[in-house]
Amino acid sequence: MTIQTLKPFDGNSPLSLKASEQAALVAKHPCFSKEGHQYARIHLPVAPACNIQCNYCNRKFDCSNETRPGVVSKLLSPAAAATRFVKVKQHVPETQVVGIAGPGDPLANPKATLASLKAIAKVDDDVHLCVSTNGLALVDQLDSLLAAGVKHLTITINCIDADIGQRIYPWVYFNQRRLRGREAAQTLIDRQLLGLEAAIKAGMLVKVNTVLIPGINDFHVESLAKELGRYGAFIHNIMPLISDPSHGTYFGLMGQREPSKEELNLAREQAGQSMQQMTHCQQCRADAVGKLGQDVDISQLESSITLPAPKTIQVAVASKSLSLIDQHFGHATQFLHYQVSADEIKQLDNFVWQQYCGGGQQCDESAAKDLSQLKHFDKILCSRIGFAPQQELSEFKVQVSTDYALRDVDLALKELQQGLRSQAETSNSPCSMGECS
Amino acid sequence: MAFTITKACIACYACKEVCPSKAIISDDKQFSVIAHRCDECAKNVNGAQCAQICPVETAIVDANGCALNPPGSLTGLPQEANVIALS
Repeated sequence: MTIQTLKPFDGNSPLSLKASEQAALVAKHPCFSKEGHQYARIHLPVAPACNIQCNYCNRKFDCSNETRPGVVSKLLSPAAAATRFVKVKQHVPETQVVGIAGPGDPLANPKATLASLKAIAKVDDDVHLCVSTNGLALVDQLDSLLAAGVKHLTITINCIDADIGQRIYPWVYFNQRRLRGREAAQTLIDRQLLGLEAAIKAGMLVKVNTVLIPGINDFHVESLAKELGRYGAFIHNIMPLISDPSHGTYFGLMGQREPSKEELNLAREQAGQSMQQMTHCQQCRADAVGKLGQDVDISQLESSITLPAPKTIQVAVASKSLSLIDQHFGHATQFLHYQVSADEIKQLDNFVWQQYCGGGQQCDESAAKDLSQLKHFDKILCSRIGFAPQQELSEFKVQVSTDYALRDVDLALKELQQGLRSQAETSNSPCSMGECS
Repeated sequence: MAFTITKACIACYACKEVCPSKAIISDDKQFSVIAHRCDECAKNVNGAQCAQICPVETAIVDANGCALNPPGSLTGLPQEANVIALS
């Protein structure tokens, strides 16, 4: 796919500079350019929540033999996503594009999405970041996406007429309410167009995806494409509806048929009068890896490469006596802070913090203490801990251990150190890369 | 006065994203409500936030075990047993 509107580059006009920059952006992106084929992409499944329901989507099933958007085998945390990217990059160096496409809507999970984008940008400043969204929360999140360095954006817009929309979207969650019917569709369409306009104004390359649904929006794609052209969207991707009844989607169960090849071509031809069409989309999963059409099996990859184990861990100890691990997590007003590595145990300044538990028989309902302040610790040693804080800490990847209850602090730390040493030995063995030849 | 998350939950995190009381916790696949934090969004005119966004029918029930999103309320799929989907 070439861009016909490119002016010859004269180096002076900022416009042509922008165009050449755009051309460079597009050429390497498999979802924007046919020639992008030689470049690989990775979709990171970090965003499970969704704020709308589409009739062609069912979030219940995940089968690794299915290839359709909205399915993943395993969610990743932002940190794990960055690790996966590093591994894939080692394996497939032509990975130039990192996309977040779900399995829900990335912008319904703004924290996870932005954290992942930032983590990726940190390990590779050369990579193209992109996000694929339904557009409902786009206006709210656009600034943070720009700040994170996202230059490619895909919005799925299936129609710009709410009468059609209410046959595609049964509900939309907006401003704290589940909207239904025409109101839901109108809200979604309005927000999509607002977001589209703002993203284009901000200089993003915007692709628009449209799912072609025979009898519902097939007669509408022509006017939709006209409108998209007016807004200045970069490329239009009309994808055939997938409505296999076994996927359990509303359309699948209600017998809504998929478009034929001819219908798809006709729709692309009609829309092609006002929008450049993309025809090589593979409708890949939200955790796809590799070049289009030749996906890499991620599970094999994950098992074949191991990263070196972390060398130091941060340990917090709850102790009344300052020599034994003899304090309940909820009663601690400070933690002893140690940095443990294979070669040394270093005590740092005590970590002062407000007691988690007031000591009453009943926990105070309003006392939702912010445990995220403890997330820079890898391990917390204490004599006891309640279920709720332990759960919440495990979400911050903080391991709480009561194994050393009432034992000596120094001895416990030595045991942890021993564990680190044996880890280091295994990861330094020559075969740990699993790629001996 | 607290909701419960049932086995129908698909672990999509949506409720956790929107819960104003930080009452929903998860480990990998199992989501649950911390009872003493959940006030069923009693003061919110828009209703219980988890129930407003949950995409799965019967995944959240109230203190009496009643589903906040009963069967058929979200998908629009006909619930009568005698309706057979055309294929």
